[in-house]
Order: sequence, then C-alpha cells, then structure tokens
Amino acid sequence: MENNQRLKLKVYTSLSFPLSSLPRQTPISSPFSHFSPVQYKRVPLGFAKMASSVVDLPPKGGFSFDLCRRNEMLEKKGLKSPTFLKTGTTIVGLVFQDGVILGADTRATEGPIVADKNCEKIHYMAPNIYCCGAGTAADTEAVTDMVSSQLQLHRYHTGRESRVVTALTFLKKHLFNYQGHVSAALVLGGVDITGPHLHTIYPHGSTDTLPFATMGSGSLAAMSVFESKYKESLSRDEGIKIVVEAICAGIFNDLGSGSNVDVCVITKGHKEYLRNHLLPNPRTYVNPKGFTFPKKTEVLLTKITPLKEKVEVIEGDAMEE
Amino acid sequence: MSSIFEYNGSALVAMVGKNCFAIASDRRLGVQLQTIATDFQRIFKIHHKLFIALSGLATDAQTLYQRLVFRHKLYQLREERDMKPETFASLVSALLYEKRFGPYFCQPVIAGLGDEDKPFICTMDAIGAKELAKDFVVAGTASESLYGACESMFKPDMEPEELFETISQALLASVDRDCLSGWGGHVYVVTPTEVKERILKGRMD
Amino acid sequence: MKLDTTGLESLPTLIAPQNDVVGDLSAAPSFDLPNSNDFDGFVKEAIQMVKPAKGTTTLAFIFKEGVMVAADSRASMGGYISSQSVKKIIEINPYMLGTMAGGAADCQFWHRNLGIKCRLHELANKRRISVTGASKLLANILYSYRGMGLSVGTMIAGWDETGPGLYYVDSEGGRLKGTRFSVGSGSPYAYGVLDNGYRYDLSVEEAAELARRAIYHATFRDGASGGVASVYYVGPNGWKKLSGDDVGELHYHYYPVTPSTVEQEMVEATGA
Repeated sequence: MENNQRLKLKVYTSLSFPLSSLPRQTPISSPFSHFSPVQYKRVPLGFAKMASSVVDLPPKGGFSFDLCRRNEMLEKKGLKSPTFLKTGTTIVGLVFQDGVILGADTRATEGPIVADKNCEKIHYMAPNIYCCGAGTAADTEAVTDMVSSQLQLHRYHTGRESRVVTALTFLKKHLFNYQGHVSAALVLGGVDITGPHLHTIYPHGSTDTLPFATMGSGSLAAMSVFESKYKESLSRDEGIKIVVEAICAGIFNDLGSGSNVDVCVITKGHKEYLRNHLLPNPRTYVNPKGFTFPKKTEVLLTKITPLKEKVEVIEGDAMEE
Repeated sequence: MSSIFEYNGSALVAMVGKNCFAIASDRRLGVQLQTIATDFQRIFKIHHKLFIALSGLATDAQTLYQRLVFRHKLYQLREERDMKPETFASLVSALLYEKRFGPYFCQPVIAGLGDEDKPFICTMDAIGAKELAKDFVVAGTASESLYGACESMFKPDMEPEELFETISQALLASVDRDCLSGWGGHVYVVTPTEVKERILKGRMD
Repeated sequence: MKLDTTGLESLPTLIAPQNDVVGDLSAAPSFDLPNSNDFDGFVKEAIQMVKPAKGTTTLAFIFKEGVMVAADSRASMGGYISSQSVKKIIEINPYMLGTMAGGAADCQFWHRNLGIKCRLHELANKRRISVTGASKLLANILYSYRGMGLSVGTMIAGWDETGPGLYYVDSEGGRLKGTRFSVGSGSPYAYGVLDNGYRYDLSVEEAAELARRAIYHATFRDGASGGVASVYYVGPNGWKKLSGDDVGELHYHYYPVTPSTVEQEMVEATGA
C-alpha cells in the first residue's frame, strides 16, 4: 500500500483549489461583527440549503488546511499520523456485446483489520455511468460524489444524458489537481450516446481506455482471469461469469480483498446493480444458542428520559401569547 | 503507542437492536499512560434520538462536537425539525473530509433513530469515509478487542434490556484488555419512547 | 470477571540434586555477541524489535519488623494488556525476594541465575548470603552487560544476619541501598502514597496496608499497571505472602459505591 499521507504543508498550499475557492478567514475579531446581524449568504450550487453565516464559513467548498500546521507540529513531536480506511481492493470492468459490466469485492480494511465486511465500492455517477473505487475510502467516496453532482448539474444544464468522457474528464481533472494526494484509483464504466466505454483512472490523474480493466491490490489476480478468458463480443451471462470469476480470484488470492461480489451491468438505456451478486464467504461460526452472561452488569447510576410525542400545532399560531 | 489517536485513549461501540439502539463508551481521559479523569464524556447528544460518540484526540473531539452542535442548531432554525441520522452522518462526513489534508484526529460513531424509528448506526475514519453497518460499529484504542467481543456476542433483533447487557459486557470485556481505556462505562439505550442512560461499574485499573 | 490468580501462588521450592549443570553455571555467564560492525546500532535496533514490557509498579520498604515488598501483576505490550496475572515478585530463596520491572525475560533469567549463585554461596560458606552480597552479585553481572540492551529494574529485599536489607539494582549498573524504593511506570504514584504514609515503627498489618494502598493508587492512575496487588513480608523467619487482592475489587473496597436501584426520572423540559 502506498503511503502518501505524509503531511507536508508546503505541497498542499501550492496544490489547492484556486485561491478564490478556499474558505476565507472570518473577520470574527472585528469589533462590529458582534452587532451585525447574522448574514445568510446565498451559496452557489449544491449548498443552497446550507446557507452560511458570518460566523461559520466552510460551505464555500474546497479543503480546509487550518489544522495542517498543528498536525505537522504533532508529527514532529514524534506522534504518528493516523492511518485511514482503505479499500485494499479488487475492482474490475469489461466491455461486452451490449454494454459494460463492473465488478467489485466488498472488503474495507484499516491496516490489518477488516473494518467493513460488506461495503459498496461501485459508486453511482449518473444513471448510465457507474464507477468502482479503490484506494483511500474517503477519497473514492468524495471524488465520485462530487463528480456525480457535477454531472447532474451538467445534465440539468444541457438536458442530455451524461457522457462517460465527461465524467472521465471531471475525475482526472480533480485527481491531477491534487497530484496524487487524493488517492483514488478508479474503474469508470458506462454506456452513452457514443456506445459503451470503460476507463481506468490512476490517483495522479492519468487515464486508460480499455476493453477490460482491473484495479486495486487484487488487480493482478483479476487480470490473470481476464487475460485468459476475455474475448470480444461476450454475451451478458458470459460477461458476468468472467467478472465474478475475476473478483473471486481477487477475494481468494489477495488478502486485501474479500467477502462478497458486487456486479453492475450497464446496457443502452438500462442498468442493473446486482448488489451481493455472489456470497462466497458466508459466516461459518454462528452460535445458535447465542451468548448468555453469567452475571448481570453492575450499574451505578441510571437515568431515564421519557420521550414525549411531539406536539404538532395544526391550527392557530404557535407564536401567540 | 505514539499514534495521536492513542494519546488520550478511548473505547466506543454502538449496536442495533429491535427498534432500538445502544451506544456505549468508556470513561477514561488519559495522557498516554497517565489517567487524568474517570468521568470523561465521549458520547454527546445531538437530539433525543441522535447521539454521536467521538474517539481519538480529546481536544479534537470536543471541538468537533461544538461545531456539530452549531451546525445542527442552524439546521433546526432553518428547517424547524431535527436532523435525520443519515443527514447528520453526511454532515459529519463533510466536516471531516473538508480537512482531508489536516484532519481532526477523531473517529466518530453515530447512532440514532431515523424515520419511523428505524435504528441507524455508522462510523467513519478521521477523514469521513462512512461505514454503515446493520449490526454494530466500534472505534477507539480498544477497537480490536471490541471487534472480537461484538462479533461473538452480538445477535440480531435484541430487546432493549438484552441489548444493554450485550453492549455492556462487550465493552467491559474489551477495555479490560486495553491499557488506555476503561475505568467504568457509559451506556445509552434509546427506544422510540425513552432514553436510558447508565453508568457502569468497571475495573478501575 | 474474577481474575485467575493461580499463577501468582508460590511454588514449593524444588531442590534437585544436579551437579554437572551447576558446575558450568558458577562461571560468569556470557552471551554470544553479534557479529556486526555497528554494534551499538545493532543493539538499538534489536531492542526496538523486542521492546520489553515496561508498565509495572513495584515497591519495597524497610520498617521496624522487616521488609515489605509489593507489586501489581499486569503485563502490557504497547496498549494491549497481555496478562493480568504475572508474578512480579520473584522468590530467590526463603529469605530473599526480588522484584521485576523492565524486561520480563531479563528479570526472570537473572533472578533465577542469582538464586543459583546464592545457593552455591550457601553451600560453599555454610551460611546464607547477605542481601548486600546478593545484590552486588546481580549488579556486577548487569554491569558487565551494560549498554547491551538488558532492561532490568529490580529491588533485592531480604533478611540476613544484619537484619532487613533492601537494595535497588538496575541494568545501567546502578546499585543503591535504601529503606524505601519503588520501580516502574507507576512508581511516581506509589511513591506519593508511600512517602505520605511511611513511618519506621509501622506494625506488619499497617505496613502491609500501606504497601497495598500504594500499589492500588498506582494501578488507578497508571494505565500500564493493574491486576492483582501482591504483598509480601520478609521477617526474621523468611518471607511470607500476606495478600493478593484484585485491584478491581480493591477500588470498591476503598471507595464503596451504592448502586442506585431507584431509577431517577428526569422530567422533560420541552417536547422539541
């Protein structure tokens, strides 16, 4: 696993969003700010509901770097910076006769610990585009969410179905901007007006266009299946079979991948998200009798707060009096 | 042991029962091996049916909590209703991911009752990668022991009293294998009709 | 919940006749030294790899009736508690005890080694070794390995012809005579209680209680100490284990709590 989470302030400031998009310093210290009424600024795009006041600015978007200096200081003092949730992963995709099939395992790890046994790694981008994510979980999640909302807005603007290349461009732009610090390795697949497309995107922003692709720590195991079994114009069932086989190769041969197989089949005008398509690792250690405790837990203090039904004022003004 | 996450020590766990949930924490605040306080609060109430527990660095936990309360109050003013747990989880996630390159050293555990009192639990890493679970979630320095305890003790659809017993035993068993957490426990069991808060008796070493 | 303390019970002393082995052991023991150009660097790295369990609270003090020795029983690896029932007071012979802090293996090995040497001294000289002599034997060995990565912080407590004796010996080669010592990560806390309650003319019961309390308070504050507070007393007739209390129970013995069976009901201020 690559370790590119070393916190170095210098790098980040030079790589951030254009300055205008960074949250500005709030003039809290201004003697008048106390008296001025709380202002609600209209914030563009997706944040319309989260109007920000003068006191709290974040919804402007973009990253905040204000803890970087402190954290760098802590690190210098010898405290190790934390490890984040990673998806040591097997993700794959292939083009078949009528579209694209994406596949992923469902294991999320935190160091040697399996943090989530059944997570979702195939992210929604647009109705006709999905994207598998590997790398730091928060990054894959955030980058796909961000781009999918950009695509939605783009669709509102143009009134047309999103194209895979548009998603690809948005993704690679963002990733290139952050020079690999946003560690997301993606397999992007979809069917648009120009036909089926499959791309891989690396954390630094480079992309590939391929008939079949694998990513993540289990990519080698999965690729061995593709390399030996892939052929052009596969049928839907053949395609799913190969994808499942490739994911299973990752699940069983790569320690970072595991649990179940998720599959997503995208065809012209139709998609099918087969969540937990295959469960090759059912729990084997269920105790049918459950667990009983010989001694009751000793309680020192108990507080009970009864919750009242919320009284709804149907008629009349609640603010009367 | 020199990780920033392990500076103060903590153990958090949340479990889902039948139409209810439980969220529990230890009570220790330490500075590495030195115990400073044994009545430290790590579980915070956002509203009656929504709780957040914050593991990791205590100073960040408190800062983050204050920011979350602030944001929730703004939401209440604007929307004239309480936040749904799912919405709140997204808020926490956004707040954490905003600091992707200079994170808060906190791993939150969120538990609440959502629409039609459906229990919701989730945890995140320090930069807001959501992990939704149907059974239990854990965090803190005793998380590894907690994973083991919960995996074996948890069963689905427990009634509030059994849920309390299970989460308490899992917590106490786990913190007894961790130097940096323990010194008693704090458990909330929330049903649609009441919130039961209990302080547990535990080993004080 | 109840701790298994069987490991803390003292075993009957086994005196097996063995001649061929003992002959070798009377010579100064020696390790094979690593074949490395950068010896210091090698040792430093090696220590990092087998970082010894550091968390401990041990204490010993001399009073009117003899020596009181006490210790906790926790072994930790980083933040993980690997055992709650470690025997940290090592019985060297019926009149002498050693305490264990630092590397468990180093302490155990060299105390056993010291036991052998003391027995040989007894056989050769027809009388028991003095505490002074025994502690010096240990200190000399540790000094000869100084800087090579041993981690030992021990107290040798016993009763000899001159009365009660207490020495602090560590792997840096230090050896101190004194009346009051505490060693380990919990020692600052133990010292606080010990210094506060110590008098020379304590009775055995009072001294045992002081030792127990000091260990208890150390386990409360120190995350790396805990388990069982064992208290030993060494008097003119040799050592005797006085108590071994689970500090989990000891806390509620010292600070009793009354579980509130009556559940308080809080009145809701508003419905929202």
